[in-house]
Amino acid sequence: MTAFDANWSLLTPEMVLAALALLVFTIDFMTGIHGKKPFIGKLSVLSLLVTAVLVLFMNNSGGQIADLYLIDSFAMVFKLIILVGVAMVIMISLHYLDRNEEIYQGEYYSILLFATLGAMIMVSSADLITLFIGLEILSISSYALVGFKKHHRHSTEAALKYVILGGAASAFILYGMSFLYGLTGSTSLLEIGQVMPTLFADYTVIMTISLIFMLVGFGFKISIVPFHMWAPDVYEGAPTPVTAFLSVVSKIAGFAIVLRVFTFGFLGVHEEWVMIIAVLAAVTMVLGNIIALTQKNTKRLMAYSGIAQAGYLLVPVAALPFIGTFSINMILFYSIAYLMMTLGAFAVISLVTEDAGTNDLSSFAGLFQRAPYLAISMTVFLVSLAGLPLTAGFIGKAHIFFGAAAADMLWLAIIMIVMSVVSFFYYFGFIKQMFMTAPKANDEELKVPTSLNAVITVALAVTLILGILPNIVLDVFNTFNWFALF
Amino acid sequence: MVPITLFLALAAILFCIGLYGVLTRRHLVIVLASIEIMLNSVNINLVAFSAIGPFANISGQVFSLFIITVAAAEAAVGLAILIALYRNRNSIDVIKHDLLRW
Repeated sequence: MTAFDANWSLLTPEMVLAALALLVFTIDFMTGIHGKKPFIGKLSVLSLLVTAVLVLFMNNSGGQIADLYLIDSFAMVFKLIILVGVAMVIMISLHYLDRNEEIYQGEYYSILLFATLGAMIMVSSADLITLFIGLEILSISSYALVGFKKHHRHSTEAALKYVILGGAASAFILYGMSFLYGLTGSTSLLEIGQVMPTLFADYTVIMTISLIFMLVGFGFKISIVPFHMWAPDVYEGAPTPVTAFLSVVSKIAGFAIVLRVFTFGFLGVHEEWVMIIAVLAAVTMVLGNIIALTQKNTKRLMAYSGIAQAGYLLVPVAALPFIGTFSINMILFYSIAYLMMTLGAFAVISLVTEDAGTNDLSSFAGLFQRAPYLAISMTVFLVSLAGLPLTAGFIGKAHIFFGAAAADMLWLAIIMIVMSVVSFFYYFGFIKQMFMTAPKANDEELKVPTSLNAVITVALAVTLILGILPNIVLDVFNTFNWFALF
Repeated sequence: MVPITLFLALAAILFCIGLYGVLTRRHLVIVLASIEIMLNSVNINLVAFSAIGPFANISGQVFSLFIITVAAAEAAVGLAILIALYRNRNSIDVIKHDLLRW
């Protein structure tokens, strides 16, 4: 089957989302440049829901467009996670943009929708060119989003750092891909995967270079140590909802392509890369958690916490060749848990730091007296991030632990447990501020806007339900045959 | 006929020059130009493989066209951000932009 007689209707969700993003863009310039435009935000949430429904009903039988674009359950679940995540990010943005009128509101939402489109293309692609285009749509949109407070010194500096390092990371990925193409004559990951074992035996040096260059580039995108230095700076400078977007949606989409490339392209030579990834995961967990201990700025702290979480998510990637589909289940379950607890935490952080006018940890002082519901939900999110029982984070980590143990990587699993204990200390810093410190003299009761309340309630409900009844999701995952591969 | 290794060597040298530029230069415009050099070294690789590689076919040239397009978009966004930064800070020296650290 060639691209000419392929079933292009499988692309309906992406096309509809692109059309709706352009519609948002058009409505924006028809309603004037300045001023608040909450209706555009609501329209964007609606377009994401429409796309999610289309993904559920158009993509549930599977299929593929030539060897370029795969519609499998792996892509479908990742797309749903991304769409729900972006919808929650937009709900957080509604309040943030209400407080920051200098941001051009319509453009903000449409660029966010285009970034989502890029992430959706990424998770479905099975071809180097498609993968690269999806990645760049997401990255270039993110560069613009980070610099959206353009009269703000921190925001522009963060955006420029992100452009420079992101561009260099893209160049690394492409340089690795160029050897992959040159020695196989194909850009399709399916075809590359078939010839990989013989290819690796013939051109060991070049293929190792190619593998390492791609790993450096992808490692940058998912912010693992030692390619993480951009993350705290960019997260601190970016508008808070964009920080939430980067730490959740862009990271999850990055993990999706890492899985695609390493399962489809490099599974045949897994003994070459499993150890590298396991060591990177260990270093990421250790450094991410330890540097987080020294942070006093909430957004930088969440950045290092996100780096540590990327380390936990990397453990099942290293275990993948040994335990197969089980590892995909773990990554997807932890992705859902991570999405809910991180976005919930960012919803609270966005509200509290905007109200205090500073990102310092002390802005949380006495939150329990000012807004008890916020303080209690924030505690649940932090406890889940740290991995205590009765939360989704605990179940996710427990599965990752047993998976790593089953793959004979007990040392990695033990590092993970030790580092989770270390992470209690910095998450406890928040809890101490909220419950044990008196509020500042001029702080009044904090009013929670409806949109943020909705995000926090949904995130709280999912975190607790998945913590108590994880089988609701896991049973569904077990019925899926993720790729045709396993 | 020129062997393919010469083209690959040229691309590798350009990639290293670009990376060196990104890591060491203080002028932000030159840093952005160095990224373009890195991306263009990839184009040389792809076009060389596409013309005289072991499995020569047209996909490599298509890939390099996509890279050129995306690099243009990236440069546009990068320069726009650079101008915003210059208006805020009146400097495009890398060393002076150190508000965000540790």
